[in-house]
Amino acid sequence: MSAAHGAALIVFSLGLCAGLAVCAPGRGTATAPERTPYLGGYAPETHAWSRFHVRYYGMALLFLAFDMEMVFMYPWAVVFAEEGMIAFVEMLMFIVILLLGILYAWRERALAWA
Amino acid sequence: MGLTAFARLAAKAPAPVFVARGANARSLAFELSGTGDVVLTQTPRHACVLLATGAFPDSMVPALRQIHDQMSHPRGVVLAGAHFRGHGPRGVFSDPVVVTPEGDVHDAVVVLHRDLILGRRPSAPPLLPDRDPTPWRGVGPYGQGGKGMTGGTPYGRPLAGLADDRDGLKLDALELRLGPFLPMFPPGLTLTIKLQGDVVQQARVGDNPFRTDERVSVGARSSVFVRALSGPVTIRELEHARAAHHLERVGEALRAAGLGALGERADRLAANIERVEAAAVRRLHRLLRRSRTLAWATSGVGRLEPDRVAGRGLGLVARACGLPEDLRTQDGAYNELGFSPLVEGGGDACARWRLRLAEVAQSLLLASAAGTRTTGGTGSVESPWGSISSDHAPVGSLLELLPGMLEGSDWGDVITTIVSLDLDLEEAART
Amino acid sequence: MTTPLPLWLAPAVVASVLAPAVYLTWVLDRWVGARVAGRRTSLGQTLASPLAEAAQLMLQSSPRAERPDRVTWLLAPASLSGLAVVAVATVPLGPMLHIADAPGGIVLFGAAIALVMVAVFLHGWSANSLFPLMGGYRFIALALSFEMPLALVLIAAALPAESLRFSDIVQSQVDVWNVVRQPLGLPLYLIATLGASFWGPLAFPDAPDLAGGTTAESSGAALLVWTAARYALLVALCAVGAAVFLGGWLGPGLPGPIWLAFKTAGLVATVVVIGHHVARVRLEDFVVVAWTVLIPLALVDVFLSGLLVL
Repeated sequence: MSAAHGAALIVFSLGLCAGLAVCAPGRGTATAPERTPYLGGYAPETHAWSRFHVRYYGMALLFLAFDMEMVFMYPWAVVFAEEGMIAFVEMLMFIVILLLGILYAWRERALAWA
Repeated sequence: MGLTAFARLAAKAPAPVFVARGANARSLAFELSGTGDVVLTQTPRHACVLLATGAFPDSMVPALRQIHDQMSHPRGVVLAGAHFRGHGPRGVFSDPVVVTPEGDVHDAVVVLHRDLILGRRPSAPPLLPDRDPTPWRGVGPYGQGGKGMTGGTPYGRPLAGLADDRDGLKLDALELRLGPFLPMFPPGLTLTIKLQGDVVQQARVGDNPFRTDERVSVGARSSVFVRALSGPVTIRELEHARAAHHLERVGEALRAAGLGALGERADRLAANIERVEAAAVRRLHRLLRRSRTLAWATSGVGRLEPDRVAGRGLGLVARACGLPEDLRTQDGAYNELGFSPLVEGGGDACARWRLRLAEVAQSLLLASAAGTRTTGGTGSVESPWGSISSDHAPVGSLLELLPGMLEGSDWGDVITTIVSLDLDLEEAART
Repeated sequence: MTTPLPLWLAPAVVASVLAPAVYLTWVLDRWVGARVAGRRTSLGQTLASPLAEAAQLMLQSSPRAERPDRVTWLLAPASLSGLAVVAVATVPLGPMLHIADAPGGIVLFGAAIALVMVAVFLHGWSANSLFPLMGGYRFIALALSFEMPLALVLIAAALPAESLRFSDIVQSQVDVWNVVRQPLGLPLYLIATLGASFWGPLAFPDAPDLAGGTTAESSGAALLVWTAARYALLVALCAVGAAVFLGGWLGPGLPGPIWLAFKTAGLVATVVVIGHHVARVRLEDFVVVAWTVLIPLALVDVFLSGLLVL
């Protein structure tokens, strides 16, 4: 771990602690009606937490595939100029296959959800 | 010492106000947004001042008390033309500031906010009794206790139940009663909806709270459109009122679309309608058209087919479906002014806001050309809600169509649809 | 290669850079809002407004929501501020003035922005209330859509630099800025910026149609931390944009940090003006456009930049 990472860790912790220090105190007591979730005047019958229907799950799966590809692209970017055309063509092939995947998902309406 | 300096600084902040509107509410757009020292909040949690205006039937009072308690401390209440049946203002709130009809709402809000922040006035205590709706009864088969979210049963309110989904899955459906004090809903509207994810499976419009035999409002509705049913009014006054009404609706649509500042501009035009040039409205229209995203976000949303609206006297909503329905075409005075109805195709929320802005400009031109011409007294009038008469309120037809328009839409489209339709429950309760 | 600041100085430098930047962004947002609304405000009033609003929120109580997830309810705003701070710290301020200029700088920055998704979702989840919850789920859909274009345009900028380090990327722009060399980069990055700071047309999780979305149940100090962290996040995104596409500290005459500040301010102003003029789009439409237009364009950007390097 370099000094830069140490600095990043330190400023993150301090930013987090500063946020906590500002909002942790001053939580006064509140009556039950004061804590009722806001829905415009009526109280909910149930918890809001539920098995929420995440309609974009198809897109979320697609994202997983692309996220992996991104992991490969970071080191690729560093050695790209050294490796030259080979790196270019290899990555292009890989990406074109993934793009075909998007095209297929789009045709199957996996991206839209209503 | 340090704290007072801090409080003095805090008192300079714009007063966060949550507005609760009943029937015959005072139009507060201009009174509040002139100087930037009042800001309207989207939830009572952010507000310091609850501003209640209009007549509140008994059925709305519990919800009003609930949102009062949901405000954070320090908090206070301003009543501007607020009426409650049975009990006076002090029967509902503990120590409200009451503004007289001639009084300045803006000043009352600003002064109350400053007094609350500086500690010159105590924060309003909760109105509802501190009773937990679902008290802790311990872990075990007879308490509803448990741990975890999906593994066990969390204590408190019960969990939502399973229901069939439109995608053929079985997932939780949340059944909720929303309104009547949601800022993006028209005053008094409550919706009972079944939500799966953020998509509405089922919607039901709640009872119109303003349709009661109690005459809560002080005097009948004094709108110029209602007056025109029984006697003549000048075209100038009628068209100015129409333009202002449509501009306020456009302002609401802009706020819901995240354009609060442009919404405020529309409100300002509405409040100064007698001095506004049609060109200022066209500038706003051009600005909205150029950014394109408003049209993108609203086109295809809340679509109504022409055959479902034809012949119901729905006015602007019908004209936005391409049907030239307008009572003004049958009026000699309007014919003299060369009036012909504007139409838009599409029948969606996009067509409606475009047509609203176009009709504002048209109304302003009609008003300036009208001179002393009068209209009305024939028993039916083309109002912003469509053609009204003493026994017909077209808003009622829209409320019937509403559930069908909302089912299957996601929440963003629900709000886009509602703000585009101008669902005035008070007008619906007139007949 | 470059001498980083001593560790103990890093927090002080970040704070002294970020605090004025957040304040000025807040002022700018209020001022543009007043102009667009056609409202007259005095300069003094505008300059005082962020301080007064902050003081007011500090005096407001923030009652606990009903049966919240207490730990995350407290952590969500704080973690957003932590992430915004670390994102700012990755930006090199000048040729010799770095706070956290990691060798994998764009990975570190990307990680911070990816974790914003967690902070926003938890903010919506923890309140156990409908509107915040829907806001949280909306943000996941938004984040999964802008994340790819964001990472790809940064990778494209890393190609000519042959490094993932931000200071190397700035150095690689001595002859020509990336905004010229990679014309697709900055527009795509700005769209991702709108998404990552959930601003203007992409302000989905905290939208008015959800009565404030993830903030619908928060108030007082917690709301202040959330609001300030959002401004800080916007500053961080714009500072990175300035470093990666507008040559960062490079510029004639003035000291490097001043140039960076000017360029960042330009991007911040662009985003703020867009925020007051461009309506929020439909989430579903944005997701489809992100996957079928923005991601392919970002890939085109990567490969065109690659061809230029070869």
